[in-house]
Amino acid sequence: MAALGVEMNVAQDDGETNTAVKVPESVLRRDQARLEEAERRRDVKQSQTVTEEKSDFFTSTFNAEKTQLEEMISSCNDREKAAKTLEEATVKFQQLQKFLNDSVRFLTQYEIRQAQESLQKLQSSITDKREEILPKKKFAFRSRNTSKQQQPTPIQQQTADKPAPGSVGTVVVDAADQCGFSNVDNQVLVRQAEEIQQRDVLLSHLTHCKVRLYGCPSTLHIKNIRSCEIMCGPVSSSVFVDQCTDSTLVFPCQQLRTHNTTATRVYLHVTSRAIIEDCQGVSFAPFTWTYPGILDHFKVAGLSPDRNNWTEVDDFNWLAAGTPSPNWTVIPESERICSWDFVGTAAEQS
Amino acid sequence: MGLLTILKKMKHKEREMRLLMLGLDNAGKTTILKKFNGEDVSTISPTLGFNIKTLEHRGFKLNIWDVGGQKPLRSYWRNYFESTDGLVWVVDSADRLRLDDCRKELNALLLEERLAGATLLVFANKQDLPGALSKDGIREVLALDDIKTHHWCIVGCSAVTGENLLSGVDWLLDDIAARIFTTD
Repeated sequence: MAALGVEMNVAQDDGETNTAVKVPESVLRRDQARLEEAERRRDVKQSQTVTEEKSDFFTSTFNAEKTQLEEMISSCNDREKAAKTLEEATVKFQQLQKFLNDSVRFLTQYEIRQAQESLQKLQSSITDKREEILPKKKFAFRSRNTSKQQQPTPIQQQTADKPAPGSVGTVVVDAADQCGFSNVDNQVLVRQAEEIQQRDVLLSHLTHCKVRLYGCPSTLHIKNIRSCEIMCGPVSSSVFVDQCTDSTLVFPCQQLRTHNTTATRVYLHVTSRAIIEDCQGVSFAPFTWTYPGILDHFKVAGLSPDRNNWTEVDDFNWLAAGTPSPNWTVIPESERICSWDFVGTAAEQS
Repeated sequence: MGLLTILKKMKHKEREMRLLMLGLDNAGKTTILKKFNGEDVSTISPTLGFNIKTLEHRGFKLNIWDVGGQKPLRSYWRNYFESTDGLVWVVDSADRLRLDDCRKELNALLLEERLAGATLLVFANKQDLPGALSKDGIREVLALDDIKTHHWCIVGCSAVTGENLLSGVDWLLDDIAARIFTTD
Protein backbone atom coordinates (compact mmCIF):
# COMPACT_ATOMS: atom_id res chain seq x y z
CA MET A 1 0.00 0.00 0.00
CA ALA A 2 2.70 2.36 1.08
CA ALA A 3 4.72 1.68 -1.99
CA LEU A 4 1.72 2.38 -4.16
CA GLY A 5 1.10 5.65 -2.28
CA VAL A 6 4.63 6.70 -2.95
CA GLU A 7 4.34 5.81 -6.53
CA MET A 8 1.14 7.80 -6.88
CA ASN A 9 2.75 10.74 -5.27
CA VAL A 10 5.65 10.51 -7.57
CA ALA A 11 3.32 10.38 -10.50
CA GLN A 12 1.40 13.39 -9.36
CA ASP A 13 4.57 15.36 -8.84
CA ASP A 14 5.92 14.57 -12.20
CA GLY A 15 5.22 17.17 -14.80
CA GLU A 16 4.92 14.64 -17.54
CA THR A 17 2.37 12.59 -15.69
CA ASN A 18 -0.56 13.91 -17.67
CA THR A 19 0.79 12.80 -21.03
CA ALA A 20 1.92 9.49 -19.55
CA VAL A 21 -1.62 8.74 -18.49
CA LYS A 22 -3.10 9.78 -21.82
CA VAL A 23 -1.03 7.30 -23.82
CA PRO A 24 -2.30 4.19 -22.05
CA GLU A 25 -5.83 5.47 -22.56
CA SER A 26 -5.46 5.57 -26.31
CA VAL A 27 -3.81 2.19 -26.15
CA LEU A 28 -6.73 0.94 -24.15
CA ARG A 29 -9.12 2.35 -26.71
CA ARG A 30 -7.26 0.67 -29.48
CA ASP A 31 -7.14 -2.51 -27.50
CA GLN A 32 -10.88 -2.27 -26.98
CA ALA A 33 -11.43 -1.74 -30.66
CA ARG A 34 -9.16 -4.66 -31.44
CA LEU A 35 -11.13 -6.90 -29.08
CA GLU A 36 -14.39 -5.79 -30.61
CA GLU A 37 -13.05 -6.45 -34.08
CA ALA A 38 -11.90 -9.90 -32.99
CA GLU A 39 -15.30 -10.52 -31.47
CA ARG A 40 -16.98 -9.44 -34.68
CA ARG A 41 -14.73 -11.66 -36.75
CA ARG A 42 -15.43 -14.58 -34.50
CA ASP A 43 -19.15 -13.99 -34.91
CA VAL A 44 -18.79 -13.86 -38.67
CA LYS A 45 -16.71 -16.98 -38.69
CA GLN A 46 -19.13 -18.77 -36.45
CA SER A 47 -22.03 -17.83 -38.66
CA GLN A 48 -20.16 -19.20 -41.66
CA THR A 49 -19.08 -22.55 -40.22
CA VAL A 50 -21.67 -25.28 -40.08
CA THR A 51 -21.68 -27.81 -37.30
CA GLU A 52 -21.79 -30.59 -39.89
CA GLU A 53 -18.46 -29.55 -41.24
CA LYS A 54 -16.46 -30.42 -38.20
CA SER A 55 -14.41 -33.51 -37.82
CA ASP A 56 -15.91 -34.16 -34.37
CA PHE A 57 -19.38 -34.18 -35.80
CA PHE A 58 -18.26 -36.42 -38.67
CA THR A 59 -16.55 -38.89 -36.38
CA SER A 60 -19.47 -39.21 -33.99
CA THR A 61 -22.11 -39.52 -36.74
CA PHE A 62 -20.00 -41.92 -38.78
CA ASN A 63 -19.35 -44.14 -35.79
CA ALA A 64 -22.99 -44.13 -34.75
CA GLU A 65 -24.09 -45.16 -38.25
CA LYS A 66 -21.36 -47.74 -38.41
CA THR A 67 -22.40 -49.40 -35.14
CA GLN A 68 -26.02 -49.41 -36.27
CA LEU A 69 -25.05 -51.08 -39.55
CA GLU A 70 -22.87 -53.63 -37.80
CA GLU A 71 -25.73 -54.56 -35.51
CA MET A 72 -28.03 -54.84 -38.49
CA ILE A 73 -25.66 -57.23 -40.24
CA SER A 74 -24.88 -59.38 -37.24
CA SER A 75 -28.53 -59.64 -36.24
CA CYS A 76 -29.58 -60.85 -39.66
CA ASN A 77 -29.70 -64.61 -39.35
CA ASP A 78 -33.22 -65.34 -40.46
CA ARG A 79 -33.23 -66.59 -44.02
CA GLU A 80 -36.69 -65.16 -44.72
CA LYS A 81 -35.88 -61.62 -43.74
CA ALA A 82 -32.23 -61.76 -44.67
CA ALA A 83 -32.69 -60.63 -48.23
CA LYS A 84 -34.61 -57.54 -47.18
CA THR A 85 -32.32 -56.70 -44.30
CA LEU A 86 -29.22 -57.09 -46.43
CA GLU A 87 -30.82 -54.92 -49.07
CA GLU A 88 -31.40 -52.23 -46.45
CA ALA A 89 -27.87 -52.68 -45.14
CA THR A 90 -26.49 -52.16 -48.62
CA VAL A 91 -28.49 -48.98 -49.05
CA LYS A 92 -27.30 -47.74 -45.67
CA PHE A 93 -23.75 -48.65 -46.55
CA GLN A 94 -24.00 -46.65 -49.75
CA GLN A 95 -25.35 -43.67 -47.83
CA LEU A 96 -22.44 -43.91 -45.42
CA GLN A 97 -20.01 -44.07 -48.31
CA LYS A 98 -21.58 -40.93 -49.75
CA PHE A 99 -21.41 -39.21 -46.37
CA LEU A 100 -17.69 -39.89 -46.27
CA ASN A 101 -17.22 -38.70 -49.84
CA ASP A 102 -19.04 -35.45 -49.07
CA SER A 103 -16.98 -34.90 -45.93
CA VAL A 104 -13.57 -35.55 -47.43
CA ARG A 105 -12.97 -31.81 -47.95
CA PHE A 106 -12.64 -30.93 -44.28
CA LEU A 107 -11.21 -34.17 -42.89
CA THR A 108 -7.58 -34.97 -42.29
CA GLN A 109 -5.87 -37.71 -44.25
CA TYR A 110 -5.82 -39.89 -41.15
CA GLU A 111 -9.54 -39.57 -40.55
CA ILE A 112 -10.31 -40.39 -44.19
CA ARG A 113 -8.13 -43.45 -44.07
CA GLN A 114 -9.73 -44.64 -40.84
CA ALA A 115 -13.22 -44.17 -42.25
CA GLN A 116 -12.37 -45.95 -45.47
CA GLU A 117 -10.96 -48.89 -43.58
CA SER A 118 -14.07 -49.32 -41.54
CA LEU A 119 -16.22 -49.00 -44.67
CA GLN A 120 -14.21 -51.76 -46.27
CA LYS A 121 -14.74 -53.96 -43.25
CA LEU A 122 -18.46 -53.26 -43.38
CA GLN A 123 -18.68 -54.13 -47.03
CA SER A 124 -16.89 -57.43 -46.65
CA SER A 125 -19.07 -58.35 -43.71
CA ILE A 126 -22.16 -57.63 -45.82
CA THR A 127 -20.87 -59.85 -48.64
CA ASP A 128 -19.84 -62.57 -46.21
CA LYS A 129 -23.26 -62.51 -44.62
CA ARG A 130 -24.95 -62.64 -48.00
CA GLU A 131 -22.93 -65.63 -49.10
CA GLU A 132 -23.54 -67.35 -45.80
CA ILE A 133 -27.29 -66.88 -45.74
CA LEU A 134 -28.20 -66.52 -49.39
CA PRO A 135 -25.65 -68.56 -51.38
CA LYS A 136 -25.65 -67.86 -55.12
CA LYS A 137 -27.48 -70.42 -57.19
CA LYS A 138 -25.13 -72.48 -59.22
CA PHE A 139 -25.72 -73.60 -62.80
CA ALA A 140 -29.37 -72.87 -63.45
CA PHE A 141 -29.94 -75.65 -65.96
CA ARG A 142 -29.39 -78.55 -63.58
CA SER A 143 -33.10 -79.18 -63.14
CA ARG A 144 -33.61 -79.51 -66.86
CA ASN A 145 -30.76 -81.97 -67.17
CA THR A 146 -32.18 -84.20 -64.48
CA SER A 147 -35.61 -84.16 -66.07
CA LYS A 148 -34.04 -85.22 -69.33
CA GLN A 149 -32.31 -88.12 -67.64
CA GLN A 150 -35.64 -89.31 -66.35
CA GLN A 151 -36.93 -89.79 -69.85
CA PRO A 152 -36.71 -93.48 -70.61
CA THR A 153 -35.62 -93.48 -74.25
CA PRO A 154 -32.47 -91.69 -75.30
CA ILE A 155 -33.33 -90.34 -78.72
CA GLN A 156 -29.72 -90.36 -79.87
CA GLN A 157 -29.89 -94.10 -80.39
CA GLN A 158 -32.60 -93.94 -82.98
CA THR A 159 -31.70 -94.15 -86.63
CA ALA A 160 -33.38 -92.72 -89.67
CA ASP A 161 -35.31 -95.93 -90.22
CA LYS A 162 -37.10 -95.59 -86.90
CA PRO A 163 -38.44 -92.06 -86.70
CA ALA A 164 -38.77 -90.65 -83.20
CA PRO A 165 -42.39 -90.87 -82.03
CA GLY A 166 -41.92 -88.23 -79.32
CA SER A 167 -43.00 -84.65 -79.80
CA VAL A 168 -40.40 -82.36 -81.33
CA GLY A 169 -40.53 -79.99 -78.39
CA THR A 170 -38.78 -82.17 -75.84
CA VAL A 171 -36.48 -83.88 -78.30
CA VAL A 172 -32.97 -82.55 -78.15
CA VAL A 173 -31.55 -84.64 -80.94
CA ASP A 174 -34.34 -85.52 -83.26
CA ALA A 175 -33.06 -88.08 -85.71
CA ALA A 176 -36.25 -88.22 -87.75
CA ASP A 177 -35.02 -85.67 -90.24
CA GLN A 178 -31.52 -87.01 -90.28
CA CYS A 179 -30.80 -89.49 -92.99
CA GLY A 180 -27.68 -91.54 -93.45
CA PHE A 181 -26.03 -94.61 -92.00
CA SER A 182 -24.83 -95.43 -88.50
CA ASN A 183 -23.18 -98.39 -86.78
CA VAL A 184 -22.49 -100.50 -89.85
CA ASP A 185 -19.58 -102.85 -90.51
CA ASN A 186 -18.38 -104.31 -93.83
CA GLN A 187 -21.22 -103.24 -96.10
CA VAL A 188 -21.97 -101.31 -99.26
CA LEU A 189 -24.28 -98.41 -98.51
CA VAL A 190 -26.09 -96.42 -101.23
CA ARG A 191 -28.50 -93.48 -101.16
CA GLN A 192 -30.22 -91.99 -104.19
CA ALA A 193 -30.73 -88.32 -104.95
CA GLU A 194 -34.33 -87.94 -103.74
CA GLU A 195 -33.47 -89.51 -100.36
CA ILE A 196 -30.87 -86.95 -99.48
CA GLN A 197 -31.77 -83.90 -101.57
CA GLN A 198 -31.12 -80.71 -99.50
CA ARG A 199 -31.04 -82.75 -96.29
CA ASP A 200 -28.54 -83.06 -93.46
CA VAL A 201 -26.88 -86.44 -93.95
CA LEU A 202 -25.06 -88.23 -91.15
CA LEU A 203 -22.58 -91.07 -91.58
CA SER A 204 -21.33 -92.29 -88.21
CA HIS A 205 -19.57 -95.29 -86.68
CA LEU A 206 -18.84 -97.05 -89.94
CA THR A 207 -16.04 -99.56 -90.42
CA HIS A 208 -14.83 -101.11 -93.70
CA CYS A 209 -17.78 -99.74 -95.64
CA LYS A 210 -18.19 -98.37 -99.15
CA VAL A 211 -20.65 -95.49 -99.20
CA ARG A 212 -22.11 -93.88 -102.31
CA LEU A 213 -24.44 -90.91 -102.05
CA TYR A 214 -25.72 -90.10 -105.53
CA GLY A 215 -27.23 -86.72 -104.73
CA CYS A 216 -26.70 -83.31 -103.19
CA PRO A 217 -27.26 -83.02 -99.46
CA SER A 218 -27.32 -79.67 -97.71
CA THR A 219 -24.71 -80.71 -95.15
CA LEU A 220 -22.76 -83.93 -94.76
CA HIS A 221 -21.51 -85.10 -91.36
CA ILE A 222 -18.90 -87.85 -91.35
CA LYS A 223 -18.10 -89.00 -87.83
CA ASN A 224 -16.18 -91.90 -86.26
CA ILE A 225 -15.20 -93.62 -89.47
CA ARG A 226 -12.52 -96.28 -89.91
CA SER A 227 -11.21 -97.72 -93.17
CA CYS A 228 -14.10 -96.58 -95.34
CA GLU A 229 -14.47 -95.23 -98.85
CA ILE A 230 -17.09 -92.48 -98.89
CA MET A 231 -18.20 -90.73 -102.07
CA CYS A 232 -20.88 -88.09 -102.29
CA GLY A 233 -22.42 -85.73 -104.83
CA PRO A 234 -22.15 -81.92 -104.51
CA VAL A 235 -22.83 -80.71 -100.96
CA SER A 236 -24.37 -77.24 -101.01
CA SER A 237 -22.83 -76.00 -97.73
CA SER A 238 -20.34 -77.75 -95.46
CA VAL A 239 -18.91 -81.19 -95.01
CA PHE A 240 -17.91 -81.99 -91.43
CA VAL A 241 -15.33 -84.69 -90.91
CA ASP A 242 -14.60 -85.73 -87.34
CA GLN A 243 -12.56 -88.65 -85.97
CA CYS A 244 -11.93 -90.33 -89.23
CA THR A 245 -9.06 -92.78 -89.70
CA ASP A 246 -7.49 -94.53 -92.66
CA SER A 247 -10.26 -93.64 -95.09
CA THR A 248 -10.84 -92.15 -98.51
CA LEU A 249 -13.33 -89.31 -98.87
CA VAL A 250 -14.55 -88.00 -102.21
CA PHE A 251 -16.97 -85.08 -102.63
CA PRO A 252 -17.55 -81.54 -103.91
CA CYS A 253 -18.68 -78.99 -101.31
CA GLN A 254 -18.68 -75.32 -100.43
CA GLN A 255 -16.63 -75.70 -97.24
CA LEU A 256 -14.80 -78.58 -95.64
CA ARG A 257 -14.21 -78.67 -91.89
CA THR A 258 -12.01 -81.55 -90.79
CA HIS A 259 -11.32 -82.36 -87.13
CA ASN A 260 -9.37 -85.09 -85.26
CA THR A 261 -8.66 -87.01 -88.42
CA THR A 262 -5.61 -89.11 -89.29
CA ALA A 263 -4.28 -90.94 -92.34
CA THR A 264 -7.13 -89.94 -94.61
CA ARG A 265 -7.14 -89.06 -98.30
CA VAL A 266 -9.59 -86.45 -99.51
CA TYR A 267 -10.46 -86.08 -103.21
CA LEU A 268 -11.91 -82.66 -102.93
CA HIS A 269 -13.76 -80.04 -104.89
CA VAL A 270 -14.23 -77.03 -102.63
CA THR A 271 -15.52 -73.67 -103.81
CA SER A 272 -14.43 -71.69 -100.75
CA ARG A 273 -11.89 -73.34 -98.48
CA ALA A 274 -11.03 -76.43 -96.50
CA ILE A 275 -9.81 -76.33 -92.91
CA ILE A 276 -8.21 -78.95 -90.71
CA GLU A 277 -7.95 -78.86 -86.91
CA ASP A 278 -6.23 -81.44 -84.70
CA CYS A 279 -5.46 -83.55 -87.76
CA GLN A 280 -2.40 -85.46 -88.90
CA GLY A 281 -1.50 -87.15 -92.15
CA VAL A 282 -4.42 -85.78 -94.14
CA SER A 283 -3.71 -85.63 -97.86
CA PHE A 284 -5.60 -83.89 -100.63
CA ALA A 285 -6.15 -84.38 -104.35
CA PRO A 286 -8.67 -82.86 -106.78
CA PHE A 287 -12.12 -84.44 -107.05
CA THR A 288 -12.23 -87.01 -109.87
CA TRP A 289 -15.40 -89.04 -109.31
CA THR A 290 -18.39 -88.71 -111.60
CA TYR A 291 -21.82 -90.26 -112.09
CA PRO A 292 -24.67 -89.58 -114.50
CA GLY A 293 -26.39 -86.30 -113.59
CA ILE A 294 -23.58 -84.92 -111.43
CA LEU A 295 -23.48 -81.65 -113.38
CA ASP A 296 -27.17 -81.06 -112.64
CA HIS A 297 -26.42 -81.71 -108.98
CA PHE A 298 -23.67 -79.12 -109.06
CA LYS A 299 -26.33 -76.65 -110.21
CA VAL A 300 -28.82 -77.72 -107.53
CA ALA A 301 -26.16 -77.36 -104.85
CA GLY A 302 -25.19 -73.96 -106.19
CA LEU A 303 -21.55 -74.95 -106.62
CA SER A 304 -19.45 -73.87 -109.55
CA PRO A 305 -17.79 -76.90 -111.24
CA ASP A 306 -15.02 -74.59 -112.42
CA ARG A 307 -13.88 -73.21 -109.09
CA ASN A 308 -11.91 -75.68 -107.03
CA ASN A 309 -9.67 -74.45 -104.21
CA TRP A 310 -8.61 -77.90 -103.05
CA THR A 311 -5.01 -76.81 -102.46
CA GLU A 312 -5.97 -73.96 -100.14
CA VAL A 313 -6.17 -75.72 -96.79
CA ASP A 314 -6.10 -73.74 -93.54
CA ASP A 315 -4.70 -75.60 -90.56
CA PHE A 316 -6.24 -74.10 -87.43
CA ASN A 317 -3.38 -75.52 -85.38
CA TRP A 318 -0.74 -74.00 -87.61
CA LEU A 319 -0.89 -70.25 -87.35
CA ALA A 320 2.64 -69.54 -88.57
CA ALA A 321 2.39 -67.72 -91.86
CA GLY A 322 4.98 -68.60 -94.47
CA THR A 323 5.85 -72.11 -93.32
CA PRO A 324 3.47 -74.79 -94.59
CA SER A 325 1.61 -76.93 -92.06
CA PRO A 326 3.14 -80.39 -91.53
CA ASN A 327 -0.31 -81.85 -90.89
CA TRP A 328 -1.49 -82.09 -94.48
CA THR A 329 0.03 -82.86 -97.89
CA VAL A 330 -0.91 -83.02 -101.54
CA ILE A 331 -1.18 -86.55 -102.97
CA PRO A 332 1.43 -86.89 -105.75
CA GLU A 333 -0.19 -87.18 -109.18
CA SER A 334 1.20 -90.66 -109.75
CA GLU A 335 -0.52 -91.94 -106.61
CA ARG A 336 -3.95 -90.44 -107.24
CA ILE A 337 -6.87 -92.71 -107.96
CA CYS A 338 -8.53 -91.81 -111.26
CA SER A 339 -11.04 -94.61 -111.75
CA TRP A 340 -13.33 -95.66 -108.96
CA ASP A 341 -15.06 -98.99 -108.36
CA PHE A 342 -18.62 -99.11 -109.59
CA VAL A 343 -20.70 -99.57 -106.51
CA GLY A 344 -24.45 -99.31 -106.96
CA THR A 345 -25.71 -96.93 -109.62
CA ALA A 346 -27.24 -93.54 -109.77
CA ALA A 347 -30.97 -93.75 -110.38
CA GLU A 348 -32.24 -92.25 -113.63
CA GLN A 349 -33.13 -88.61 -113.27
CA SER A 350 -36.70 -87.72 -114.10
CA MET B 1 -22.26 -38.21 -61.16
CA GLY B 2 -20.65 -41.64 -61.09
CA LEU B 3 -18.08 -43.01 -63.45
CA LEU B 4 -20.74 -45.12 -65.11
CA THR B 5 -22.81 -42.05 -65.92
CA ILE B 6 -19.80 -40.36 -67.44
CA LEU B 7 -19.07 -43.40 -69.54
CA LYS B 8 -22.69 -43.58 -70.65
CA LYS B 9 -22.59 -39.98 -71.74
CA MET B 10 -19.37 -40.54 -73.64
CA LYS B 11 -20.93 -43.45 -75.47
CA HIS B 12 -24.02 -41.41 -76.11
CA LYS B 13 -22.04 -38.86 -78.03
CA GLU B 14 -20.70 -41.48 -80.41
CA ARG B 15 -23.81 -43.67 -80.36
CA GLU B 16 -21.51 -46.60 -80.69
CA MET B 17 -22.33 -50.22 -79.89
CA ARG B 18 -20.17 -53.28 -79.71
CA LEU B 19 -21.72 -56.53 -80.85
CA LEU B 20 -20.10 -59.92 -80.49
CA MET B 21 -21.09 -62.70 -82.85
CA LEU B 22 -20.57 -66.23 -81.52
CA GLY B 23 -21.84 -69.74 -82.15
CA LEU B 24 -20.66 -73.19 -83.16
CA ASP B 25 -18.69 -73.57 -86.36
CA ASN B 26 -20.74 -73.61 -89.56
CA ALA B 27 -23.58 -71.73 -87.83
CA GLY B 28 -23.30 -68.92 -90.41
CA LYS B 29 -21.77 -66.11 -88.36
CA THR B 30 -19.63 -64.70 -91.13
CA THR B 31 -22.40 -65.17 -93.67
CA ILE B 32 -24.82 -63.16 -91.52
CA LEU B 33 -22.26 -60.42 -91.08
CA LYS B 34 -21.46 -60.21 -94.78
CA LYS B 35 -25.08 -60.43 -95.89
CA PHE B 36 -26.03 -57.69 -93.45
CA ASN B 37 -23.28 -55.56 -94.89
CA GLY B 38 -24.43 -56.31 -98.44
CA GLU B 39 -21.40 -58.34 -99.48
CA ASP B 40 -21.10 -61.51 -101.56
CA VAL B 41 -21.74 -64.57 -99.40
CA SER B 42 -20.93 -67.36 -101.87
CA THR B 43 -17.19 -67.48 -101.29
CA ILE B 44 -16.99 -67.42 -97.50
CA SER B 45 -14.32 -69.64 -95.94
CA PRO B 46 -14.27 -71.02 -92.44
CA THR B 47 -13.11 -68.10 -90.31
CA LEU B 48 -9.46 -68.22 -89.35
CA GLY B 49 -9.10 -65.78 -86.48
CA PHE B 50 -11.84 -63.17 -86.58
CA ASN B 51 -13.49 -60.49 -88.68
CA ILE B 52 -14.28 -57.02 -87.39
CA LYS B 53 -16.76 -54.85 -89.26
CA THR B 54 -17.77 -51.33 -88.42
CA LEU B 55 -20.98 -50.26 -90.05
CA GLU B 56 -23.59 -47.55 -89.71
CA HIS B 57 -27.18 -48.54 -89.14
CA ARG B 58 -30.05 -46.26 -88.04
CA GLY B 59 -27.57 -43.64 -86.93
CA PHE B 60 -25.68 -46.07 -84.73
CA LYS B 61 -22.10 -47.03 -85.27
CA LEU B 62 -21.92 -50.79 -84.92
CA ASN B 63 -18.68 -52.57 -84.15
CA ILE B 64 -19.36 -56.18 -84.98
CA TRP B 65 -16.85 -58.84 -83.98
CA ASP B 66 -17.21 -62.16 -85.70
CA VAL B 67 -14.98 -64.64 -83.92
CA GLY B 68 -14.06 -67.98 -85.48
CA GLY B 69 -14.44 -71.18 -83.51
CA GLN B 70 -10.99 -72.71 -83.82
CA LYS B 71 -9.66 -74.11 -80.56
CA PRO B 72 -6.31 -72.31 -80.17
CA LEU B 73 -8.17 -69.00 -80.29
CA ARG B 74 -11.04 -69.94 -78.00
CA SER B 75 -9.04 -69.06 -74.90
CA TYR B 76 -8.85 -65.53 -76.26
CA TRP B 77 -12.63 -65.20 -76.58
CA ARG B 78 -12.71 -63.73 -73.11
CA ASN B 79 -10.70 -60.78 -74.34
CA TYR B 80 -13.56 -59.82 -76.62
CA PHE B 81 -16.15 -59.98 -73.85
CA GLU B 82 -15.19 -56.74 -72.17
CA SER B 83 -17.53 -53.86 -72.98
CA THR B 84 -19.75 -55.96 -75.23
CA ASP B 85 -23.20 -54.37 -75.50
CA GLY B 86 -24.87 -57.13 -77.45
CA LEU B 87 -24.24 -60.82 -77.97
CA VAL B 88 -25.47 -62.43 -81.18
CA TRP B 89 -25.67 -66.19 -80.80
CA VAL B 90 -26.00 -67.91 -84.16
CA VAL B 91 -27.54 -71.38 -84.38
CA ASP B 92 -27.51 -73.73 -87.35
CA SER B 93 -31.16 -74.82 -87.15
CA ALA B 94 -30.56 -77.73 -89.50
CA ASP B 95 -27.72 -79.19 -87.43
CA ARG B 96 -29.89 -81.14 -85.00
CA LEU B 97 -27.03 -83.35 -83.90
CA ARG B 98 -25.12 -80.54 -82.30
CA LEU B 99 -28.00 -78.57 -80.76
CA ASP B 100 -27.12 -80.06 -77.40
CA ASP B 101 -23.53 -78.84 -77.77
CA CYS B 102 -24.95 -75.52 -78.83
CA ARG B 103 -27.06 -75.26 -75.66
CA LYS B 104 -24.08 -76.12 -73.45
CA GLU B 105 -21.83 -73.56 -75.09
CA LEU B 106 -24.47 -70.86 -74.79
CA ASN B 107 -25.12 -71.65 -71.12
CA ALA B 108 -21.42 -71.49 -70.34
CA LEU B 109 -21.20 -68.17 -72.14
CA LEU B 110 -24.06 -66.63 -70.20
CA LEU B 111 -22.32 -67.45 -66.92
CA GLU B 112 -19.42 -65.27 -68.03
CA GLU B 113 -19.33 -62.25 -65.77
CA ARG B 114 -17.94 -59.91 -68.36
CA LEU B 115 -20.99 -60.54 -70.52
CA ALA B 116 -23.39 -59.89 -67.66
CA GLY B 117 -24.75 -56.64 -69.06
CA ALA B 118 -25.08 -57.72 -72.67
CA THR B 119 -28.35 -58.19 -74.53
CA LEU B 120 -28.71 -61.60 -76.20
CA LEU B 121 -30.06 -62.07 -79.71
CA VAL B 122 -30.39 -65.67 -80.89
CA PHE B 123 -30.48 -66.12 -84.65
CA ALA B 124 -32.08 -69.46 -85.57
CA ASN B 125 -30.25 -69.47 -88.90
CA LYS B 126 -30.74 -71.55 -92.05
CA GLN B 127 -34.54 -71.47 -91.89
CA ASP B 128 -34.46 -71.78 -95.70
CA LEU B 129 -33.33 -75.42 -95.44
CA PRO B 130 -36.10 -78.06 -95.49
CA GLY B 131 -34.64 -79.93 -92.50
CA ALA B 132 -34.37 -76.86 -90.29
CA LEU B 133 -35.91 -76.91 -86.82
CA SER B 134 -38.36 -74.05 -86.29
CA LYS B 135 -37.64 -70.98 -84.22
CA ASP B 136 -39.85 -72.31 -81.42
CA GLY B 137 -38.12 -75.68 -81.54
CA ILE B 138 -34.74 -74.00 -81.11
CA ARG B 139 -36.12 -71.91 -78.29
CA GLU B 140 -37.20 -75.07 -76.51
CA VAL B 141 -34.03 -77.06 -77.12
CA LEU B 142 -31.77 -74.21 -76.01
CA ALA B 143 -33.98 -73.68 -72.93
CA LEU B 144 -34.09 -69.98 -73.65
CA ASP B 145 -37.08 -69.46 -71.35
CA ASP B 146 -34.83 -70.35 -68.43
CA ILE B 147 -32.61 -67.35 -69.11
CA LYS B 148 -33.33 -64.73 -66.47
CA THR B 149 -29.97 -62.98 -66.44
CA HIS B 150 -30.10 -61.32 -69.85
CA HIS B 151 -32.61 -59.62 -72.10
CA TRP B 152 -33.04 -62.07 -74.97
CA CYS B 153 -34.96 -62.62 -78.17
CA ILE B 154 -34.95 -65.38 -80.78
CA VAL B 155 -35.39 -64.64 -84.47
CA GLY B 156 -35.66 -67.24 -87.22
CA CYS B 157 -33.59 -66.12 -90.17
CA SER B 158 -31.71 -67.13 -93.26
CA ALA B 159 -28.32 -65.61 -93.90
CA VAL B 160 -28.41 -66.81 -97.50
CA THR B 161 -31.70 -65.10 -98.38
CA GLY B 162 -31.25 -62.31 -95.84
CA GLU B 163 -34.69 -62.98 -94.36
CA ASN B 164 -35.28 -61.44 -90.91
CA LEU B 165 -31.67 -60.34 -90.42
CA LEU B 166 -32.77 -56.73 -90.26
CA SER B 167 -35.62 -57.26 -87.81
CA GLY B 168 -33.31 -59.19 -85.47
CA VAL B 169 -30.63 -56.53 -85.49
CA ASP B 170 -33.27 -53.80 -85.05
CA TRP B 171 -34.60 -55.48 -81.92
CA LEU B 172 -31.05 -55.74 -80.58
CA LEU B 173 -30.34 -52.08 -81.24
CA ASP B 174 -33.59 -50.97 -79.59
CA ASP B 175 -32.91 -53.02 -76.50
CA ILE B 176 -29.33 -51.82 -76.15
CA ALA B 177 -30.21 -48.22 -76.87
CA ALA B 178 -32.88 -48.25 -74.16
CA ARG B 179 -30.32 -49.54 -71.73
CA ILE B 180 -27.10 -47.65 -72.36
CA PHE B 181 -28.06 -44.35 -73.91
CA THR B 182 -29.49 -42.12 -71.24
CA THR B 183 -32.57 -40.24 -72.33
CA ASP B 184 -31.58 -36.65 -71.77
